[in-house]
Amino acid sequence: MTSELSQAVEAAQAGDEEAFRFLYRSLQPGLLRYLTALVGADAEDVASETWLQVARDLPNFSGGEFRAWAVTIARNRAMDHLRRQRRRPALPVPVQELSELAGDADTAERAGESIGTEAALAMIASLPPREAEAVLLRAVVGLDAETAGRVLGRRAGAVRTAAHRGLRRLALLLGERAEEEAATAATPAPPPRPRTGPQAPHAEPVDG
Amino acid sequence: MFLRRLGGSGAPTDPEQLLDAAREARPATSSGPSDPLVGLLRAAAAPPRERELAGEQEALAAFRAARQAGAPAAAPRPRRRRFTAGVVVWIAGVAATATAGAALAAVRLDQPDERPAPPPAPITGPVAPSPRATGGQPDRDGASPSRGESEAPSVVTPGAGVGPTDGLAPTPPAPESSAPVVDATVQAGPGNSDNTADRSGLCKAYLQKSERQREKALRTPAFNELVVAAGGAENVMAYCQGVLAETDPQWLAKHGPSTAPESADGQVASTTDS
Repeated sequence: MTSELSQAVEAAQAGDEEAFRFLYRSLQPGLLRYLTALVGADAEDVASETWLQVARDLPNFSGGEFRAWAVTIARNRAMDHLRRQRRRPALPVPVQELSELAGDADTAERAGESIGTEAALAMIASLPPREAEAVLLRAVVGLDAETAGRVLGRRAGAVRTAAHRGLRRLALLLGERAEEEAATAATPAPPPRPRTGPQAPHAEPVDG
Repeated sequence: MFLRRLGGSGAPTDPEQLLDAAREARPATSSGPSDPLVGLLRAAAAPPRERELAGEQEALAAFRAARQAGAPAAAPRPRRRRFTAGVVVWIAGVAATATAGAALAAVRLDQPDERPAPPPAPITGPVAPSPRATGGQPDRDGASPSRGESEAPSVVTPGAGVGPTDGLAPTPPAPESSAPVVDATVQAGPGNSDNTADRSGLCKAYLQKSERQREKALRTPAFNELVVAAGGAENVMAYCQGVLAETDPQWLAKHGPSTAPESADGQVASTTDS
């Protein structure tokens, strides 16, 4: 995977458009999900800003982990975005918007999973920001702890700790969710509708 | 590693392994199939959905634009409004000079003679040599505008092979000649007529956006080229419909906005502004 990526990076630097498309397709889904946790509904805008900068600066990219480089750009763009937003009236927490998107329960059922992608992301986004970022970079973007630490400006050990805490918290949330579902299991209505209510107390502003 | 218990549920799972396994295609084998945390992570890292890749055309357009800006050595855009566009051109120009100078020269030599005029991109290239070649001016004169201004007309003898360039682009030391230089650049500017294929890609990316995003997109450097080509942000819609009617009418018929007029002969009335 990584060597494939770096080959594609070299080809894209030489002007190969297909290689750039490959980079986009490999990275964009994880990037978008990560950005959704950071900036909510504006994630697509921030992602396209990110790719603009990636396309522009790619000739100057001097090796190393391409994903780490691109995710760092994305994170900086997201932070800029949040700074701009802070000057305007406050917006609702991203989790609210995410829960509206969480209508892919049928997808989850087809895939044999217990939970849909949007619902899962909403649940991760409801974690404290450091934990959410660590979990997303590790599990969704697929960076290892060292690389994620470079993106976040922290040591790998700190990233591991944050991710582990996040996972523990998620396990607790899932336990609560299962209990609630068991309570309402008698009704034949579509059951896997995700419940974001109980997580609201955990939500905090994303950039601390 | 050191954390063996997770969430007090009693399932002995290595969290690092959990995180690593989230993106793997096969179901995680280490823990029971009913572990909801595994399901959650796998769902969060599920394969990409179609709409998550919706920005692909736009990203590719940005890639092309970045490369294009670098290829013909970055002539100054006449209508450049945004500083960032300048930065894009500059960075790409530096990169192209550093990596592809030789290739660039070769490409220019091989180009078919579509235009009799000298390549517009390096303004100082074709223009600067002319006074020196004809008048035998020492190099230092070019540096002082006052002397250059007074001497250039007297020393340069017409009919020494510089006839066309003389009228089109006067010697650089004369400051009042800046306007004609820019005009020449506009006419033969990079991609103003030749690169409709790339334009159509940009146009598609543009037309696929929603109203709100279109307005925003036109302020980004990637679409700056469209604004320049159309002669203003308000003309982009009409321009793009024109371009696509020529290059890809089927796409336009399928995706184009309802305002797109049907054109049998490939020409679209450019009066349909958004």
